[in-house]
Amino acid sequence: MAIGRTIRDDFDWPLFIAVSTIALFGVLNLYSATDAGTTSDAYIQQLYWLVLGFGVAGITAAIDYRHFERYGWLIYGACVSSLILVFVLGRSVRGSTRWIALGGFSLQPSELMKIGLIIALAKYLHHDTKTGGRTLADLIIPGLILALPMVLVLIQPDLGTAMILAFIFASIMMLTQLKARSLVTLLTTFVLAAPVTWFYLLKDYQKERITAFWGRLGGTQTDLLDSGWHTHQSLVAIGSGGLTGKGFTQGTQTRFRFLPDQHTDFPFPVWAEEHGFIGAFLLISLYLFLVLWSLRVASQAKDRFGAVVAVGVGAMIFWQTVVNLGMVSGLLPVVGMTLPLFSYGGSSLLSTMLGVGLLMNVSMRRFSH
Amino acid sequence: MITLSQRREVGEFRKRYRWMALFVVLVFGGLVIRVAQVQLFQRDRWSGIAQQNITKTLELPATRGMIRDVADRVVASNRPSYDVYATPRLLQPGDLERIASLMGLSEEEAASLNARIEELPPSRRSHQIELYQDIDRDQLAALETHLAELPALDIITVPLRDYPYATLGAHLIGYLNEVNASDMERAADPKDYRPGDRIGRNGLEKRYESLLRGSRGFRREVVDARGRALPGARPDSLEVEMLRKPVPGHDIQLTLDMRLMEAFDRAYRPYPSGAAVVVDIHTGAVRALYSKPVYDPNEMSSGLSTRRYAELTGDPFRPLIDKTIYETYFPGSTFKVITALAALEDHVVDPMQRVECTGFIKIGRQKFRCNKRHEWVDLYDSVVQSCNVYFWELADDVGIERINRFARAFGFAERTGIGVNSEAKGFLATREWYAEHYGAFRIGYTLNTAIGQGNTRVTVLQLAMAYAAIANGGTLHVPQVVQNVRAPDGSLSDTFQPRIKQNVGVAPEHLDLIRRALIDVVQEEGGTAYKARNREGVRVAGKTGTAQVVSRKGRSEESASAWYLDRSHGWFAGFAPADDPQVAFAVLVEHGGSGGLSAAPIATSVMQQYFTEPEEAE
Repeated sequence: MAIGRTIRDDFDWPLFIAVSTIALFGVLNLYSATDAGTTSDAYIQQLYWLVLGFGVAGITAAIDYRHFERYGWLIYGACVSSLILVFVLGRSVRGSTRWIALGGFSLQPSELMKIGLIIALAKYLHHDTKTGGRTLADLIIPGLILALPMVLVLIQPDLGTAMILAFIFASIMMLTQLKARSLVTLLTTFVLAAPVTWFYLLKDYQKERITAFWGRLGGTQTDLLDSGWHTHQSLVAIGSGGLTGKGFTQGTQTRFRFLPDQHTDFPFPVWAEEHGFIGAFLLISLYLFLVLWSLRVASQAKDRFGAVVAVGVGAMIFWQTVVNLGMVSGLLPVVGMTLPLFSYGGSSLLSTMLGVGLLMNVSMRRFSH
Repeated sequence: MITLSQRREVGEFRKRYRWMALFVVLVFGGLVIRVAQVQLFQRDRWSGIAQQNITKTLELPATRGMIRDVADRVVASNRPSYDVYATPRLLQPGDLERIASLMGLSEEEAASLNARIEELPPSRRSHQIELYQDIDRDQLAALETHLAELPALDIITVPLRDYPYATLGAHLIGYLNEVNASDMERAADPKDYRPGDRIGRNGLEKRYESLLRGSRGFRREVVDARGRALPGARPDSLEVEMLRKPVPGHDIQLTLDMRLMEAFDRAYRPYPSGAAVVVDIHTGAVRALYSKPVYDPNEMSSGLSTRRYAELTGDPFRPLIDKTIYETYFPGSTFKVITALAALEDHVVDPMQRVECTGFIKIGRQKFRCNKRHEWVDLYDSVVQSCNVYFWELADDVGIERINRFARAFGFAERTGIGVNSEAKGFLATREWYAEHYGAFRIGYTLNTAIGQGNTRVTVLQLAMAYAAIANGGTLHVPQVVQNVRAPDGSLSDTFQPRIKQNVGVAPEHLDLIRRALIDVVQEEGGTAYKARNREGVRVAGKTGTAQVVSRKGRSEESASAWYLDRSHGWFAGFAPADDPQVAFAVLVEHGGSGGLSAAPIATSVMQQYFTEPEEAE
């Protein structure tokens, strides 16, 4: 510990640069996706959100994360409450209730819930006395921490976010040393639960998407309706980009609106169409860096809370990226899933920036002051 | 505040990071591979779809080539047909009344329009239905003015083949109708034809389909995902051809003279059926190919109902048949010139030798009657007066083989090679044929053959070609109806040179003798066509003929017109002007009786008009 070293000296520049680059690419991409800004000023809005996001991240990073640890349950409780509030105040978009209006803009509590879950799990594990050889019984309390918000999100229904919550949970729990026997039991349960999920939990439109996906993978899908159509047009956009792309604002799939939800769930095809494989590779590399960097931050964390938070944020970014890219490239069924930092949308950006702030926080405080 | 225990706690996690990092790298690697596969290896396929996505191809039909006659009169052209379509679901109350009044429909027509719309089942009401085809100019103007207020209505323009001369020459010119599956299979490039396209189905339209048709073009529009056109948008990545102009078809100029055709049409007015051919004796160019009656090409192209088809096939005057090339007839006395030339050329007869015609001859117990008692006639007289007795006396000496040989030399019993539509060969009966079909050969058959009865069958065109050979000194041409073909830019792409089929192999002086006789048939008192002569103007030469009709047994009782259908056909074949022949002709009046009274006047009057009226008489 160098003498006179301050927190400012430990500012995590690589993290900052990676996040900023992705976010700026996102704004540029949004500008193109909305007819080069002619029919919509969404990219300006996104810039406001970005400024706000960096502000939030800065504040989050500035406060010693031990305070978050201290108020962990409170934060978790607030997030869960806001999820419940959705059903009271929420407004319905395309059949699901995910939003609450907050002053002039709307907020998606399920996005914030991801952070809430990470903090809650981190707090739980921080105070856990066990250091290995965990059994299924040890998963009960963390499982309940997951289950409460997950059920609320499923009711909305927002399958994508519920899935991400589960993935974050699973990733964090992979940090702990679960006994092999317990792991086997767990996997068996999941396999057995699949039919139950299919028949009782999934909505028809969700089933259709999955069927379409399997049909496409098996080559039996012939019609290009609905979700199959979305994936098809997405592949057309990505594929027609070739190596170097059609050039900024020159993507025809984008300009002539063949891409569905092109600024929220399908911004990657826009990017890949206009910037080609080179651009796509660059963007994917940035995400890869971001995730690996968060693992590095976790590994250097001085305590469990910090490590779990870093892994949680990394997992959140990783899974959302993988699901979104897998979906737009036809590897995974179409589920509503934004691409972190890159997609249009304030809530998604804010929750990611909160995560980034936490990551920065843990990174800057890896040394004991 | 750091304690060692805290450090150890983190240690539980430490073993996991490597595995996590490995997992993350593998998953991202997988994504990169997938993106590389789509962007680098499948690029062409996706690019193709991307371009198809944003382009809408509008087909540009090619204009079919024009057909003109020898004097550039338009025989077949194109004009737009304005067809009215309606989407019944979109009809507002009062719209139908509005349409009826704009189109000037009668009360009955308006009622039938209402009925048509009302009868539609609800399931069909969202589909566009055709209300009227080819509305006239006034109706079009009225509807177009109010089209914006009638959203249910659409006016669609389709090109329509137009035949200004309507039925005149319809067999030769032909017609179009919709392509069927086998047409599309047969086409060299099946993509050339789409369902709904029209194809030449008959006549020149069929024969020259590949030249007349041209090739379609297209215009591509940039459209968005909803199919809306985006004028001016032209993305750089669009590598497809945006416009291919249609190539119009070639224009065809015929050798036919429509003014001559019209003259025939007027001249045939008194008769319900017949046929006439006029050819240029120097080239074989066909100037007229007239067959009556004719179907309406417009009717044929829209598709015949079974009833209408039965009507056409049941018509005793056979409108579906081209009587100039597809029907065969006994040549009657017009054939005598062949017998005469056969006898002269092989020196079987001394043309100066006279034969006494007592009005008949007796062969065994059978009496063959002449049309009158001609007294003493030589070969020349017997052609002029058409004396059967002279030719009967001659027949035995000439013999059926020789007559047939010379008939073949003049092109009979063989297709002329005009190359359009189906052509009949005609028929010459041989000794063997008679033996086979009638038991034994008898001298009477030769007698009948010598005067063009018997079983000799010729087409009107064959007869005209044979007379052209007589008129031009012995050259038998292949008849031709197309003079030249022009590319869309107006340049000549093909010119049809005269084609000689064969030389008839008859000495000029013999042909000359016959020509002089043919002149006197018309010009000399006592000639069988003397009454039909042009008192002033064009001198015409020719031979009359009266061909017996095989009695249509069984029909006689049914039909009031049966007596007419049993009448003989009248022939007149020859050339004009008599002293400097330019054209040869064969004129047939079905059931016209005596050729001198029916066919000859038609020929002389038409020739008079053809050679005297100025070109721009119309």
